[in-house]
Amino acid sequence: MAGKSGRTINATPQNVWRKRILSWEGVLIVILAVVLVLCRAMSATYTLENVLREMPKYLAEMFLMLPMAFILMMGEIDISVGSIVCLSGTLGCFAVNAGMPFPVALLIMLGTGLICGAINGAIIVIFPELPSMIVTLGTQIIFRGIAEIMLGGGGSIAAKNADGFRAIGKSLGIVPIVFFLVIISGAIFVIISTKMKFGRELMAIGSNRLTAFYSGVKVKKVLFISYVTMGAFSALCAIFFTAATYGANTTTGKGFEMDAIAMAVFGGISSTGGKGKMIGGILSAFVIVCLRIGLGQKNVNSQVILLIIGILLIGAVLLPNISARISANKKKAIS
Amino acid sequence: MQKRELSLVIVLVLLIAVVSFVNPSFFTIDNFLDILKNNVVTLIPTLGMLMVLLIGGIDISIASTMALAGMVVGLLFKYNKIESTLLAFIIALAIGAVCGCLMGTIIGLGNVPPIIATMGGMYIFRALAYIVGDSQWAGAEALGNYKDFALKNICGVNVTIWITLLCYILFFILLKWTKFGRNIYAVGSNAEAAQISGIKVARVKIAVYTIMGVLCGLTGALNTSIYASAQPNSLTGKEMDVIAACVIGGVSMSGGRGTVAGSLLGGLVLAVIAKALPLIKIPAIAQNTIKGVLIVVVIIVNVITQRMMNKRALARREM
Repeated sequence: MAGKSGRTINATPQNVWRKRILSWEGVLIVILAVVLVLCRAMSATYTLENVLREMPKYLAEMFLMLPMAFILMMGEIDISVGSIVCLSGTLGCFAVNAGMPFPVALLIMLGTGLICGAINGAIIVIFPELPSMIVTLGTQIIFRGIAEIMLGGGGSIAAKNADGFRAIGKSLGIVPIVFFLVIISGAIFVIISTKMKFGRELMAIGSNRLTAFYSGVKVKKVLFISYVTMGAFSALCAIFFTAATYGANTTTGKGFEMDAIAMAVFGGISSTGGKGKMIGGILSAFVIVCLRIGLGQKNVNSQVILLIIGILLIGAVLLPNISARISANKKKAIS
Repeated sequence: MQKRELSLVIVLVLLIAVVSFVNPSFFTIDNFLDILKNNVVTLIPTLGMLMVLLIGGIDISIASTMALAGMVVGLLFKYNKIESTLLAFIIALAIGAVCGCLMGTIIGLGNVPPIIATMGGMYIFRALAYIVGDSQWAGAEALGNYKDFALKNICGVNVTIWITLLCYILFFILLKWTKFGRNIYAVGSNAEAAQISGIKVARVKIAVYTIMGVLCGLTGALNTSIYASAQPNSLTGKEMDVIAACVIGGVSMSGGRGTVAGSLLGGLVLAVIAKALPLIKIPAIAQNTIKGVLIVVVIIVNVITQRMMNKRALARREM
């Protein structure tokens, strides 16, 4: 097809499959396969059943990765999510111990998340001059601080009647319920980010906020919705984390924000905004979760896992930058 | 003195006045020296963070670097590898410099966003602190003479406070009156313009993160001496305190704005609040909440005054 200027415009790119495999998502699938094969080779107990049984604890963090990816795509950040998990979990345990029916406790947890997310969103929308990093740093301290006050001197609470949480933590066959939920919400987030207006608007804001604003994107609305979603999913994470631990303490959820950001960034979602695919984040989350379970089974020091995640994180951003620079130099040399 | 610092001085004086009025035992020289000594581990890295924020970066790996440096020093004493305190400090500074230089190179030459690079560093250095320790830690008896270092007084003032003071004077001079200091401001205000005008931006970035690392090494070594223990999980979350001190002190997160005096005042405000709350009968458990509220209030007030100032400037121009 010839365009106005006479250049040919090819709507169907060639080598679709080659491109797909060479993309970061393709690389992630290969990495996931390598991790699974290596872990299986190292440890005889690394079976599907065992991995799925250990998954719920780690999968809870995946709920954080999904909306975090949205926020990162806009070039923003939220480091208060770990504290929201803590506050929401604490309130949930208090509600259960106060004799409230379990669904009410769940509503309280969700409500806590929504309110916390709305507070973050409101501050960021009303004061666009403030970097989201510093706003959420403040609320991070506040949310955990409130949980600390509620927990008092002991600093921890156990759910006296954990039947409800136990029910949530159950499995259908060998697959835990939370696994289905993660897959369903992952699919919804993929659809929103690729097929719906909201996802396109996120990317527009992340690429160039001013242009997005002038082309009619309601920047403030999108920002606010994203932060509220982040809060709601932090509450979901809190619900399933409590279902694995039956309690909360002052350190619950500490560092979750960093894990969620690490998953997203390793999945190719740039923290500077406007780049990345949801599916990459989901794949990288599974890579990290499977790796953790595998190394955990081999009794590898949990700190070694941190070391590996740290290297993966830097490598995932550094290597494409280096290869881009090399190919740019090559082009320069040719011309 | 700029308006910003002046308002912080007023806040600080008011704070001290109110607390002293409620509880006179607060207003003693010993108490103030105590506050300073307890906050050396926040005040020293605040200087490095100031520089990092000035070039528009951020460093959240600092607490891990401190833990790594402190841990190595502690273990060297534990297994009798070294005896001299001076050597311990040199080793700690070197470890910090290597960690910082690594971060700086990844950020400056690799073009990795600072938050991602230092988040990776946070994981890696913390993991290394655990791995070198191999589930061991160094207690008071293992540290021998080294722990006495932090107990020494010169002219009635603790030696760690002298070190902090020296750092602040050095950095004040460095940022205000040296070419390197002005280059930092230039890079932070407009990196592209700085590059075009001949400043080697990548080199400035590497230098700044290396200096940050050196300060972390120093802090880690001091921390081991002050608290007479070296543990791999020490100082977790310290990076947020340091960033908070800078932000309260008026350092802009987007780079180019901030002073040594401001960040010192920011650190002091946080330090005084932490010490004062128990004295005016606010339970220590509410401390973090108040700290968080304070950070949010300060940054919001800052934005509102900035908006008003801009509006006034605009009105003047229209006339």
